[in-house]
Amino acid sequence: MSHEGRFGQYGGSYIPEILHNSQQQLIAAYRSAMADETFVAELEWQLQHFSGRPTPLTFCPNLSKTLGGAQIYLKREDLNHSGAHKMTNVIGQGLLTKRMGKKRIIAETGAGQHGVASALIAARLGLECTVYMGAHDIERQYPNVFWMKQLGATVVSVESGSRTLRDALDEAMRDWAQNYQDTHYLIGTACGCEPYPEMVAGFQSVIGNEVKKQAAEQFGALPDKIYACVGGGSNACGIFLPFLDTDTELVGVEAGGIGDAPGEHAKRFHVADSKPGIAQGFASLFLQDDQGQLMETQSISAGLDYVSVSPILADLEAQGKVRMTSARDDEVLQAFRTLASNEGIIPALESSHAVAGALREAAALDPSQKIVINISGRGDKDIFNIAKAVKDTQFNEFLAGYLERETQA
Amino acid sequence: MSSLQKYIIDQRESKPILLMTHVVYGYPTVADSLQLMASLLEQGVEFLEVQFPFSDPVADGPAITAACHAAVENKPELAQYLVDMAKLKTAYPDSRILMMSYLNPLYRFGLDRVVCLARGVISGFIIPDLPLEMGQQFADECINADIAPIWLATPDTDEERLKVVGKAAYGMLYCVSRRGVTGQHTDQLNDLSSYLQRVKAHVDVPLGVGFGIQSPQDVADLTGQADIAILGSALLNAFNQGGIPAVQQLVASLR
Repeated sequence: MSHEGRFGQYGGSYIPEILHNSQQQLIAAYRSAMADETFVAELEWQLQHFSGRPTPLTFCPNLSKTLGGAQIYLKREDLNHSGAHKMTNVIGQGLLTKRMGKKRIIAETGAGQHGVASALIAARLGLECTVYMGAHDIERQYPNVFWMKQLGATVVSVESGSRTLRDALDEAMRDWAQNYQDTHYLIGTACGCEPYPEMVAGFQSVIGNEVKKQAAEQFGALPDKIYACVGGGSNACGIFLPFLDTDTELVGVEAGGIGDAPGEHAKRFHVADSKPGIAQGFASLFLQDDQGQLMETQSISAGLDYVSVSPILADLEAQGKVRMTSARDDEVLQAFRTLASNEGIIPALESSHAVAGALREAAALDPSQKIVINISGRGDKDIFNIAKAVKDTQFNEFLAGYLERETQA
Repeated sequence: MSSLQKYIIDQRESKPILLMTHVVYGYPTVADSLQLMASLLEQGVEFLEVQFPFSDPVADGPAITAACHAAVENKPELAQYLVDMAKLKTAYPDSRILMMSYLNPLYRFGLDRVVCLARGVISGFIIPDLPLEMGQQFADECINADIAPIWLATPDTDEERLKVVGKAAYGMLYCVSRRGVTGQHTDQLNDLSSYLQRVKAHVDVPLGVGFGIQSPQDVADLTGQADIAILGSALLNAFNQGGIPAVQQLVASLR
């Protein structure tokens, strides 16, 4: 719990005056909902029956044996409905939207996972849905756009600025400022003004709470280490927070992109260009130049390609409660292949960052140690990017043939 | 009473309404934007609102956002901005310059440093993503330097909130005419009258009205209801269509 949405020197509420009432309404609604047993029971019911929770904790016998180090377990957020942990948060906020009597949700999306999850919950709960997505991300992730449209959502291509996630977020804020009377802004990550970081991290904490219970059942102890990829930070907050102040080491893995030069990565920790800043409604670490202009980012995974990070994680890192590392695109692809071929699990490229961070350290650990990797989403959506990265020429032939047939038809 | 408020009261003795014109520093280039500012001051606008561009201007609509993105490409520097504003202030002492920006460029530069360098040059700050609750310390520093921290009210600001805003209001209050962002036309200027009456019941500083003010008719509608008409996107659109002459023509037609 935080005071005025603050987490150490980070967090807070830096929003235009026009959004004051709407934000106050949201804070009050969230607090009263979480204190209401009926709401919490409905949330749990939907998490189970719509999204398939609890998700399994899967032991990796082959990988553990091959590396000869720690015993490796995967938290299978990829088995959520929609294929990612994003579903958990949208169920929570979707129910909250209904509770507030609003009839429309808006969302920003990078990889498209949060957009699809928002479109799914909107269809289920009978809400209108508009999703803002950077034009550059639409080019990279069209299949998700396709599904959003099939679900009845309106997808708005954001052409301004760098045409990625942060521009989509800016545009969603503008929509909210115009339409707050009947619209809830359903933020997909643990960023934004109060109460979003606390609320999104709170809904996602079901991940870590399940791991605690499952670890006790499967190996009778807490994990020694937990690895999670860090973009905005919702899956990392979700699996980490229940383990704060335990002996479990919490390791976040950021997108190392292709290099350390400005614009070549999306690392917000341990880089000179990332400094405390205030934008998009909150204070946190932002990649920015010496004039405070936000910078471009790069990653093979659209979902980690964000200029800032959850104020909760920025604060926990400053306190030494979370360790941050990063993995570059090539190491991530290698980790993706290793997990898929050894264990028959296809992780999202985002989650493959967590896999890369864990594989790097697992071999040096004692076989008595247990580590958990959060597989925040499944990799089916990345088929185009992965086919390209592994230079699968047959995939291109398939696409060419498909286009040829469709153009003739 | 703040210098800004005193200036507004003095000016209003002979003028039914004052004009505040908005320019994005660095758009399309720093030199061009300074030329536009000088021409507006030459024309006798009482207030020049100069936006230091930010990459993520969430309270601005498409026209100003595009101008900010273009301006950021020119890598404008806040230190130079303040130097340029000081020159304009010296050249046009009868007008007042207000600085508008988002929080991050100011925060990066150092809020105390901005206030220190702006003293005697900038008459007020307009920072749309700095709410009252988060800006107390900054506001105090501004007031010590005789710079007005200009707060905002909106048509949906309720009575309770208006009391808080009214208590904090210093120099002038920026009344947003409607929901949304800058640049869309405001159809319901008629409804403004009850909104501004509500504001006046709680606020004893002069009122400026902005967002969607585009035409001589809009300015005429505000006359008698507010002290300052604030024009932003309309001037930018005129500039994009016909350069400085088009802006001068629009400003000359306003009152």
